[in-house]
Amino acid sequence: MKKTSKPKLSLLMVLGLSFTMVMSACGSSKDAGPSAEPAGTASNNGGSTATANEPAATPGSPLEEALQGKYKGTKVTMFGPFVDADQKKFESSIKDFEDKTGIDIQYEGSKEFEATINVRVDGGNAPDIADFPQPGLLASIAKTGKVVDLTKVLDQEKLKKNYNQSWLDMGTMDGKDGKIMAGIWNRSNVKSLVWYPKKQFEEAGYKVPETWDEMMALTEQIAKDGDPAWTIGIESGAATGWPGTDWIENIMLRTTTPENYDKWVKGELPFTSPEVKNAFELMSKIWMNKDYVYGGTKSIVTTAFGDAPKPMFENPPKAWFNLTGNFITSFFPETAKVDQDYDWFYLPPIDSKYGKPVLVAGDIYAMFNDRPEVRAVMEFFTTGESIKSWVQSGGVIAPMNDASLDWYTSESDRRMAKLVQDATTLRFDGSDLMPGKVGAGTFWKGMTDYVSGTATLDEALKQIQAGWNN
Amino acid sequence: MAGKKKRRSKKWIVNIVLGIICFVWLLPTLGLLISSFRPAADILETGWWKVFPHQEWKTKDTIQLSKDVDLRGPIEVNGQTYTDDQLKSGVMQDGKRLTWENRRAREISVQDQGWVGSPKLTLDNYKNVITGKEYTIKNADGSESKEKGTGLSQAFWNTLTIAVPATVIPVLIASFAAYAFAWLRFPGRRTLFVVIIAMLVIPIQVALIPVLKDYTSLGLNGSYLGIWLAHTAFGLPLVTYFMYNFISQLPKDLFESAFMDGATHFTIFSRLILPLSVPALASIGIFQFLWVWNDYLVSLIFIGNQPEVQVMSMKIADLVGSRGNDWHLLTSAAFISMLMPLAIFFLLQKYFVRGLMGGSVKG
Repeated sequence: MKKTSKPKLSLLMVLGLSFTMVMSACGSSKDAGPSAEPAGTASNNGGSTATANEPAATPGSPLEEALQGKYKGTKVTMFGPFVDADQKKFESSIKDFEDKTGIDIQYEGSKEFEATINVRVDGGNAPDIADFPQPGLLASIAKTGKVVDLTKVLDQEKLKKNYNQSWLDMGTMDGKDGKIMAGIWNRSNVKSLVWYPKKQFEEAGYKVPETWDEMMALTEQIAKDGDPAWTIGIESGAATGWPGTDWIENIMLRTTTPENYDKWVKGELPFTSPEVKNAFELMSKIWMNKDYVYGGTKSIVTTAFGDAPKPMFENPPKAWFNLTGNFITSFFPETAKVDQDYDWFYLPPIDSKYGKPVLVAGDIYAMFNDRPEVRAVMEFFTTGESIKSWVQSGGVIAPMNDASLDWYTSESDRRMAKLVQDATTLRFDGSDLMPGKVGAGTFWKGMTDYVSGTATLDEALKQIQAGWNN
Repeated sequence: MAGKKKRRSKKWIVNIVLGIICFVWLLPTLGLLISSFRPAADILETGWWKVFPHQEWKTKDTIQLSKDVDLRGPIEVNGQTYTDDQLKSGVMQDGKRLTWENRRAREISVQDQGWVGSPKLTLDNYKNVITGKEYTIKNADGSESKEKGTGLSQAFWNTLTIAVPATVIPVLIASFAAYAFAWLRFPGRRTLFVVIIAMLVIPIQVALIPVLKDYTSLGLNGSYLGIWLAHTAFGLPLVTYFMYNFISQLPKDLFESAFMDGATHFTIFSRLILPLSVPALASIGIFQFLWVWNDYLVSLIFIGNQPEVQVMSMKIADLVGSRGNDWHLLTSAAFISMLMPLAIFFLLQKYFVRGLMGGSVKG
């Protein structure tokens, strides 16, 4: 019995194998057609449409032309790090534009954006537009000359009107030959915020501190009352340490000149310098005091940054302050309400000499393929309109000047936008600007080693600085 | 008699060792399975083993201390003094445990040990993963609209569409090649074979950018054909080597007699080789299928993240959100993605062990 059934089975398998082979051979050509199309149109259509409507010859910008329906049916590919909820919000904010112009923006989000974009660009498969959360990464690609210089693509006068000059400066990078405008800013985060449970904070009779000293006094007061004031977590998988860099950057901006900050970011002011060491020491006064930190200093390294705010939402709160960017609200319990249950205060200035500096981060959009419809989309991204519905959903700040404060649906977001507009100094997250070896390497590791106690402060600083040398 | 006893005790040891290995391997899986049924807040708070009935300290009574007790000094409770640290971690007094109930209100709880059962379990994690999460998006007029995200089903079919041909093609090509290497005599046979074996040691990462460049010029990026070819190419050396080992060990007499009867090479291959090497085909098929199914890197580079072609591993990575805020969904997603390989394994397992040994000891 067994002997007869065996050849049959194998014959079946052979048939199955060859059938799938044939199927796959037939299916492939059909499948490959539509999905390969975006790549195809990217290179082919570019030439033909560009000659058809030369942007310089026609009056009106590409955006106006697009709105007139000139680029109907074209596709623009876009690649970025938004996935899941962020991707939905992004897509809903561009939907109106797509409907009006008939341009299909094909957004592809990936958690591995940082790792993939280099491979794609090097492999000649760059998207039309890429969204960089770290300008340092864009800067390294801009150097290869593969990024389109936006100086000639976008109306500079309009840009100057619609952006704070420091945003434009931050978008200017070294190209292959000389400075180019490598990207434009579309979405920003504010990183100088201390979140606190508002209701209980007021019930306890505490007052929002206006100066660093007041904040330290309040921290001590809360410790005496029986709670650690701060909840800090810097664990983030392979990126463990990054939430700590925001602390140092914030303190740097508050204890030294913006020029020194810029020098530090460029690597001209070493980590071992007194300015940086001072910033670490100020931070240590909170971090290294076990009465000030929820779970004690040792828990900082093992607490995920997203889990850190959770003790603030227990009743009664087990901790009171959490310094993070505005994105952290997506980690807050769903039941907690903004403006009622939680709110933020501006991390107070340390030395009044340096005014009210604000640390920001954001997404810079760069263009890789120069086609008229891509120009139109890029121009669209410089308008506040392009992010309006996302702003309304909460969690982001629009860097454009034509984004109205009325769009923000929560008082908290509106205050944030105002904070950015009124900032005496606006500086970008330093670790994102530093080269990857430092900003996403030794800086993170040094912070972690210092906090976990495996390195003394001087050792840690030397170790971070060593990242510049190799 | 003595020998039999000895053998039996040896078997006993083997069984124990196997049992331990199984336990060590299964325990994390069990933990993951249990976690996948727990609410996110619970996963964060306690370990998965807390779902089993266990003893826990329960508050029986509270002691209210004076509000102005200095926490940094000695704290007096029921006539005995403790430090703050002791009360934080819990300290025993007359068989009961003292610990802070509400440190801020200077309230101390007196705890007894008691049994805890009936854990909170939920199917939400699976629901979110299978049917998609719900996102709340605020509209211009301030109203909220709910939007449903996509679940795993599309990605599941995409992965299957990729995995089946990406398994069948290399196995088929490799069987042909293995037959040729084992039984045909042609010039350069050994050199060619060595070259193929040498390919085994080349990491696929070095090939990514060059292959991507070629794909771009051929327009194969993001297409199923492209990724089938990529997986085929990356898998071929190992599959060829494996099939060669098996096919070259088949008895020579068999082919000689078939040849005498006038069989062509193709007849020998399809009538003799394939039926005889079913165990090997099945086991290398499982290997290749698992590799393709679990692959992340090759898909990331060659097929990308557009929803129409996105594979499971990438969809699952995206489920956790841009900043990893929904990591608890990984538990249930991992189990769902595990189903298919498990099914394949159990379907083909009777060939599996035979196939693994087939190439190595026969002859």
